[in-house]
Amino acid sequence: MKKQGGGGGVAAAAVAAAGMVKAELEDVGIKAAGGAVAALSPLSETLWREKAAAEFLGDVSARLAWRDLTVTVVLGGGGGGGGGGTTQDVLQGLTGHAEPGTITALMGPSGSGKSTLLDALAGRLAANAFLDGTVLLNGRKANLSFGAAAYVTQDDNLIGTLTVRETISYSARLRLPDKMPMEEKRALVEGTIVEMGLQDCADTVVGNWHLRGISGGEKRRVSIALEILMRPRLLFLDEPTSGLDSASAFFVTQTLRGLARDGRTVIASIHQPSSEVFELFDRLYLLSGGKTVYFGLASEACQFFAQAGFPCPPLRNPSDHFLRCINADFDKVKATLKGSMKRRFERSDDPLDRIMTSEAIRRLITYYKNSQYYFAAQQKVNEMARVKGTVLDAGGSQASFWMQAFTLTKRSFINMLRDFGYYWLRLIIYIVVTVCIGTIYLNVGTRYSSILARGACASFVFGFVTFMSIGGFPSFVEDMKVFQRERLNGHYGVLAFVISNTISAMPFLILITFISGTMCYFMVRLHPGFTHYLFFVLCLYASVTVVESLMMAIASVIPNFLMGIIIGAGIQGIFMLVSGYFRLPHDIPKPFWRYPMSYISFHYWALQGQYQNDLKGLVFDNQDDELPKIPGEYILENVFQIDVSRSKWLDLAVLFSMIFIYRLLFFAMIKVSEDVTPWVRGYVARRRVQGKGARGRGADLSAARSPSLRAYVVDAADDLPPA
Amino acid sequence: MEYGGGREGGGGMNGNGTAYAGALSPAARYAESGGASLTWENLTAVLPGGGGRATKKLVQGLYGYAVPGRVVAIMGPSGSGKSTLLDALSGRLARNVLLTGKVLLNGKKRRLDYGVLAYVTQENVLLGTLTVRETVTYSALLRLPSTMSKAEVRRVVDDTLDEMGLRECADRNIGNWHLRGISGGEKKRLSIALEILTRPRLLFLDEPTSGLDSASAFSVIETLRQLAVDGGRTIVSSVHQPSSEVFALFDDLCLLSSGECVYFGDAKLAPQFFAETGFPCPSRRNPSDHFLRCVNADFDDVAAAMKGSMKLRAEADFDPLLKYSTSEIRERLVDKYRISEYAMMVRNTIHEISKIEGVIEEVVMGSQASWCKQLTTLTRRSFTNMSRDFGYYWLRIVIYVLMAVCLGTIYYDVGTSYAAIQARASCGGFVSGFMTFMSIGGFPSFIEEMKMFTLERQNGHYGVAAYIISNFLSSMPFLLAVSWASASITYWMVKFRPGFSYFAFFALNLYGGVSVIESLMMIISALVPNFLMGLILGAGVIGIMMLTSGFFRLLPELPKIFWRYPVSYIVYGSWGLKGAYKNDLIGLEFEPMMPGQPKLTGEYIITKMMGLSLNHSKWLDLSMIFVLLFAYRLIFFLVLKAKEAAAPYIRVAYTRFTIKRLERRASFRKTLAMSSMSKRHNQPPHPMAVQEGLNSPMPY
Repeated sequence: MKKQGGGGGVAAAAVAAAGMVKAELEDVGIKAAGGAVAALSPLSETLWREKAAAEFLGDVSARLAWRDLTVTVVLGGGGGGGGGGTTQDVLQGLTGHAEPGTITALMGPSGSGKSTLLDALAGRLAANAFLDGTVLLNGRKANLSFGAAAYVTQDDNLIGTLTVRETISYSARLRLPDKMPMEEKRALVEGTIVEMGLQDCADTVVGNWHLRGISGGEKRRVSIALEILMRPRLLFLDEPTSGLDSASAFFVTQTLRGLARDGRTVIASIHQPSSEVFELFDRLYLLSGGKTVYFGLASEACQFFAQAGFPCPPLRNPSDHFLRCINADFDKVKATLKGSMKRRFERSDDPLDRIMTSEAIRRLITYYKNSQYYFAAQQKVNEMARVKGTVLDAGGSQASFWMQAFTLTKRSFINMLRDFGYYWLRLIIYIVVTVCIGTIYLNVGTRYSSILARGACASFVFGFVTFMSIGGFPSFVEDMKVFQRERLNGHYGVLAFVISNTISAMPFLILITFISGTMCYFMVRLHPGFTHYLFFVLCLYASVTVVESLMMAIASVIPNFLMGIIIGAGIQGIFMLVSGYFRLPHDIPKPFWRYPMSYISFHYWALQGQYQNDLKGLVFDNQDDELPKIPGEYILENVFQIDVSRSKWLDLAVLFSMIFIYRLLFFAMIKVSEDVTPWVRGYVARRRVQGKGARGRGADLSAARSPSLRAYVVDAADDLPPA
Repeated sequence: MEYGGGREGGGGMNGNGTAYAGALSPAARYAESGGASLTWENLTAVLPGGGGRATKKLVQGLYGYAVPGRVVAIMGPSGSGKSTLLDALSGRLARNVLLTGKVLLNGKKRRLDYGVLAYVTQENVLLGTLTVRETVTYSALLRLPSTMSKAEVRRVVDDTLDEMGLRECADRNIGNWHLRGISGGEKKRLSIALEILTRPRLLFLDEPTSGLDSASAFSVIETLRQLAVDGGRTIVSSVHQPSSEVFALFDDLCLLSSGECVYFGDAKLAPQFFAETGFPCPSRRNPSDHFLRCVNADFDDVAAAMKGSMKLRAEADFDPLLKYSTSEIRERLVDKYRISEYAMMVRNTIHEISKIEGVIEEVVMGSQASWCKQLTTLTRRSFTNMSRDFGYYWLRIVIYVLMAVCLGTIYYDVGTSYAAIQARASCGGFVSGFMTFMSIGGFPSFIEEMKMFTLERQNGHYGVAAYIISNFLSSMPFLLAVSWASASITYWMVKFRPGFSYFAFFALNLYGGVSVIESLMMIISALVPNFLMGLILGAGVIGIMMLTSGFFRLLPELPKIFWRYPVSYIVYGSWGLKGAYKNDLIGLEFEPMMPGQPKLTGEYIITKMMGLSLNHSKWLDLSMIFVLLFAYRLIFFLVLKAKEAAAPYIRVAYTRFTIKRLERRASFRKTLAMSSMSKRHNQPPHPMAVQEGLNSPMPY
């Protein structure tokens, strides 16, 4: 879904953007030529900044301000009392601002609401959360859905088989306007790589669970690089340093700082930063239990705490100290430890050994409310609210649908080619299985027993071989994760994804089925003749594709791997049962199993076609030699109860139409889970909220939100301290 | 064990830094009070070269001591050798690593056998369905002598829970991917509790605070301190990036970088040492952050990359350390330490400690319980886990029942027409083939059990035989339930031969089949490295079994060479089908293909149409299935034994492989997974089988 944002203005803006990018890069280039990199005097740095600011300010810098922000969450009913769900205030009355050129860090213990604050500012709240208060972007109400601001999630969902450069290039091609010349796109990609310090690993693959690749810190920087490609002025990051060791975390934060210094507004939620990382922040927003503990310059935070009566002891990481003072978990910990202590330990260096953390939190919050910091923040927010700046347009994607589909197909194809576990593994499995089948039914012949043997062979091939496509499940699941991330950031639409997936898989499926089908056919020596062979292989291809589409449809709905496989196996089993082999078609009970299940089962159509393909024209021996030989047509009608009036090619056509139907189903399921489910959840939650009568005001904002990947808000709310 | 006053901050150094002659240093005084004192001198671990690879020094020339009542923290950047040091001290080094130097326990050279000392691994291996108290109780029953009465065992368990501060959460579930449970800190404390059950004097921990938030990490380390002081234990732990509060809790610090000692001694004196060398710790810094910053060569790479991307405009004044490269800083620190008084102090202390004649009680690791006790405890625990974990058997029962209903309605009242012959055969074939296929659903649970087994086996809690037998016994009720439920539904809906003995045979047949497949799945889960391969392999094997069972291809028709002999004889399906046919068809009469021909008797069908012989009765076929069951369990036993025997060689190969990987890439580019060499249990940290937070799990 790309936002058009206004006809020709887009093209002009794109050219302007490209021009600005060129200027930026030239800037950087000149500095490189100049050589005196680390020695920019403070004066020239300010000059540069002013110059940059002048160039950009009228256009696209982002000043974010929020006032009296309150987020209420409606929890699922459950407990006592009919359908009424409880509401919980996750955030209460927060005020703050973020300016270009700064990094603002949102910090707090787990459950404090820092992730909710980030989501609220970025417009990504879950469907059952309601926003109150104002969030202003450049003085106007923010509408940040689908890619207006860049948002980097905590997990890196990257395609493991592409190199860093390829990842960024494909992403660029998916989003930059078609008319932009190739060299400019490439220059943009290179510029981004250099900006994120990825030059050294640019040609290393990203790596996944079986491929060794780049390190965690580099993956994080690649994720950030993907988001800054479109030169957004506003960047949100969710715990960018989590899971990284100290050097990588430092590097990532340094890079973010550099990005901010270029005139961007960077807001990140951070969890337990090390001392070096903490020093890099400009502004600090401390939260505890959904309330503000401090907002202001990070360098003045220590002063604030000292004034409030909790000075930071020496040889301490200031952020450790702050978090110690506002983390209510420490109370529980101390209580547990005291209970099990055999001796009393006087902890003289614990700043809070005399009072409880909950008391400390209360004191700090009250102190902040009455301090000059709060006053200054309010002033600034009011000032920002008065200045109406430009409206930032959505930075989702400016490429045409065909460009997106083409790029996605190409990328998907390369991934499938390089990832061993996707199709090559399956090829090996299929070959092994068909060799087994081939040797068991070697040269099946036309004896009396061969009648049933041919039927059994066909049934087993179409039933079991197709089942082994579960081997590609994890790779497909990885694809889905990447799709979700890119979809949320507005890179492309669902249709482009489904089409690209279908087209890029075709060559591989054809290869796999033709190789294994051929091996099977000639080992078993089924009906000779090229058209018969062709039919068999096409039928196998169609069946395998049907099963794969079915598994994809299941995977899009059931995120759990194991349940998906079990359900897939169960469905396959039922399809096999009603296919006409285990129980002859006329004997299958009519009510449910014959109509419609039998006709839905792809196995049924495959068998119908293949039996005709195989038996027609052959003559079989009878039980005893004296009895006349049995023609294939007789067997078809009487033994297998096949409907011979229907041509086998029609059966094949039905199979192909099933492929189409399942893909459509896949498309529909994604759309449903995207649009309908959150809408339903939101509707239900809104009804509950209105039923309570408490707050119904925030309801209108929910319509303009983009869906959130995060359903945690419901669960996390359980962990919050009682209001 | 009482020690005077809390900890002493100043150590034994007076103004000019020399110890008083004749007086013991405080550390040695700790050692005097009994317990286990560990010292190591000139410890060097070398991985010998081979195959064109140079020798690699893992750690070099380390000196240090660990005395009762104190917690020693081993810190260092990734690749610094802290895991090697920990492994060397606890006797867990891979066999091909050459260790030189002296490691003395209470002054005597001691053989540090594998599993002799209490060692808490980084990963918590716990069964999520049990409560905290149950976990500790079962572990106690498995290891404490069987002569202890129930009350005594309960007391030990209560004491341990108290000591670890687990009283409040004692009756809460541990939790797994679908059950909410205790927090990360409590899980870690539970793992520690399991190790101190046998009252060890010496406790080793591998990065106990990784993955924990600051409050949990604080609780874990504070509990360790209490263990040390209250119990007179000696505790050595490697730590990774501790927060300020946690760092303040350590007594002794061993700081490593690239295998060399940067500092060893009192943790409170470390900032002093750094200041003396010219790298004072700034006030608003976590000392451990500062130390690591000074010795972590990765920061050089950061600086280089930043220079490369021209971001170092005015950042130089941020980091005073940028004047030197980290390698230079490290060099200076290492050199300064070697000749400093701190190092001298350490050697003196080691000397004093080794002179103290300590008596260490022989701690029997492993298990002191009788074999019977182990068996009963394991069976009980296994049974509890299976009954509480929905995904283990209950889910399968539900699925089997559903399938049985489907099957029953499709083959409803099958009758005795000509077509019914094939229909009965198909029904039998589907039941024995497909129903058993659903046991792949138990894979994650198998793998979780395997992990638990491997860990406990390594620590010598019980033997392989006890495990296998207990597993069989505890799963029997569930498998019986599964097979009888689905058999009943199917049998009476399809209306096979009426008569209880026929039904009983059918059900037993199904039970045998399900058990055999289950045993096969366990063998596979013991062999495959991850979940997905296990699934594929399992599905493939079951498919082949279905093919050769005599249903898809009649037994006489199977090619003799491989498929008939031996495969069709070792596949339970063929015996099951033979028995089922005999059970069902003999004594019945069926309509012929064309009317007017004589009716077909069951015997005729079996001998002429299916090509099976009627020489032996169906009960023989049934017993063959149980013979197969026994055989598979035996194979499972052998596989587990073989894995154990091969384990040291696997570790050797793994260590070499890891070192190669570490060398090939700059340490900066390592993923966190490779940060320790001794993670020999070939498990990269992707928790798929444990199914935590799985939106779309990746296999591990």
